[in-house]
Amino acid sequence: MAEPILAGVAESDLGETPDRNWLDNAAVATVRALEDAGCSLDEVDGVAVAGGDDYMPALVLSEYLDLDEPSFLEGTEIGGSSFEHFCGHVRDAMARDEADVVVVAYGSTSKTGPGRDQSLEETHPIDGFVRPTGLFRPPGAYAMAARRHMHEYGTTEEQLAEVAVATREWAAMNPKAAQREPITVDDVLESREIAEPFNLLDCCLVSDGGGAVVLVSEEKAAELGVPEIAVAGVASTSTHRQDVSEMPDMTTTGAAVTGPKAFDQAGITHDDVDVAEIYDSFTYTALVTLEDLGFCEKGEGGEFVSGGTTAPGGELPMNTQGGGLSYCHPGHFGVFVLIEAARQLRGDYEGDRQVDDAEVAVAHGTGGLLSSSSTVVLRRES
Amino acid sequence: MTGRIEDRREEWDGPVPVPTGATAPFWAGTLEGELRYQACDCGHRQLYPRAVCTACGAEDPPFEASEGVGTIYTYTVCHVPGEPGFAERTPYVVGAIDLAEGPRLLALLDAEPDDLEIGAAVGVRFWQVSEDAAIPVFVPE
Repeated sequence: MAEPILAGVAESDLGETPDRNWLDNAAVATVRALEDAGCSLDEVDGVAVAGGDDYMPALVLSEYLDLDEPSFLEGTEIGGSSFEHFCGHVRDAMARDEADVVVVAYGSTSKTGPGRDQSLEETHPIDGFVRPTGLFRPPGAYAMAARRHMHEYGTTEEQLAEVAVATREWAAMNPKAAQREPITVDDVLESREIAEPFNLLDCCLVSDGGGAVVLVSEEKAAELGVPEIAVAGVASTSTHRQDVSEMPDMTTTGAAVTGPKAFDQAGITHDDVDVAEIYDSFTYTALVTLEDLGFCEKGEGGEFVSGGTTAPGGELPMNTQGGGLSYCHPGHFGVFVLIEAARQLRGDYEGDRQVDDAEVAVAHGTGGLLSSSSTVVLRRES
Repeated sequence: MTGRIEDRREEWDGPVPVPTGATAPFWAGTLEGELRYQACDCGHRQLYPRAVCTACGAEDPPFEASEGVGTIYTYTVCHVPGEPGFAERTPYVVGAIDLAEGPRLLALLDAEPDDLEIGAAVGVRFWQVSEDAAIPVFVPE
């Protein structure tokens, strides 16, 4: 099957964007990503958006950008993994010659904007059980899953903290990262308690901002002359939505399903993976996903992440832009893992920030409350 | 078995359940101190209450009364309130409870965090928080 080429990537301004709404940020990211691809707005014939504060985000962004009768429209909302999920639909659409240039975009004002619309929560029958508990979501939900993992496998708070420490080392090299000061395991353990076993530094940032990637057909990529970063494998699934009590096993995520599928499609093994961009809404999210994707045995994630395995110079460079823990997290982080994976495969960076000769990257998104999982394998064609 | 009902209507500032559709029999039970779950004729048992059985697809699976006992599957101690009305309650404990009959549900654990461990036995109490509903709350047995 023809593989879409990830031709352009960009962020909007990150951090605080009080004069811009989600749509502004999504649009700014889009035009920057198009510029990165050497492509014009006129050439866009597909748009995929999730997470915008609008229930028809693909229509809204299409109008905002004044797209001329786009043939591909996508707005499936599966949380932070939506953008990885879109890559599969884009692949299918391109195989049918439905589209040649698709923008996958996200924008938010999670930090400075008004509170999120709670209507979904208020219409689900489980709300009567969950909301009266006062559980602070998502941190409390992920914390309960982490606690269960600790119980079953002996994972420790120190091991969870290792994820944050290694991620910060990458952030220190990223001028766009919100948090760049080095931290230690003790710093994580001594930071403010949020929902046990999570402390503040186990939790992602809250940012404004947007991101976009431009996926083009192989023919279009040849025309543009961009580096050929191919979407070589994609798979998505979900285990539950509204509450982690509905998650069949809190120590295993949907990544256990999507990882093998995406790897098989791409024809790769774990040894082929040069860089991993793994959704890290919390330290536990990254740890359990590494297990479920098969980078280590089930239950051995704590040991795996210890000692700098995922840090600069480590065996498996992970979240090389500083992740949701230190770089930015405007709510749906999934678009940013694709952006960074592409940059690493293109060799955009210098020095220690660049993973040497990276040819294969895994970008993994997680959405909801550990609810959805989507894995993308990206490969640089030589 | 019925669980003790404590009237918390005066002091409760948190969200209150809104009985509707498939959940109405559940919340009616709580006002009588009864923790109900759906027990389908096919043998499947489920919570939260739904209009269909997730195993066989039967509509409106009937309710049965739980013994109101179970074990802690996992829990967290909340230091940041997730809902208005919980600020003065912090820290408080939320757990996922595996009922003896099978279904798992999220609920407040009325206990000191240091006294808790995964797998420990708990029993249900009810806090009446509105005219229409009493929320299940679990305490160590």
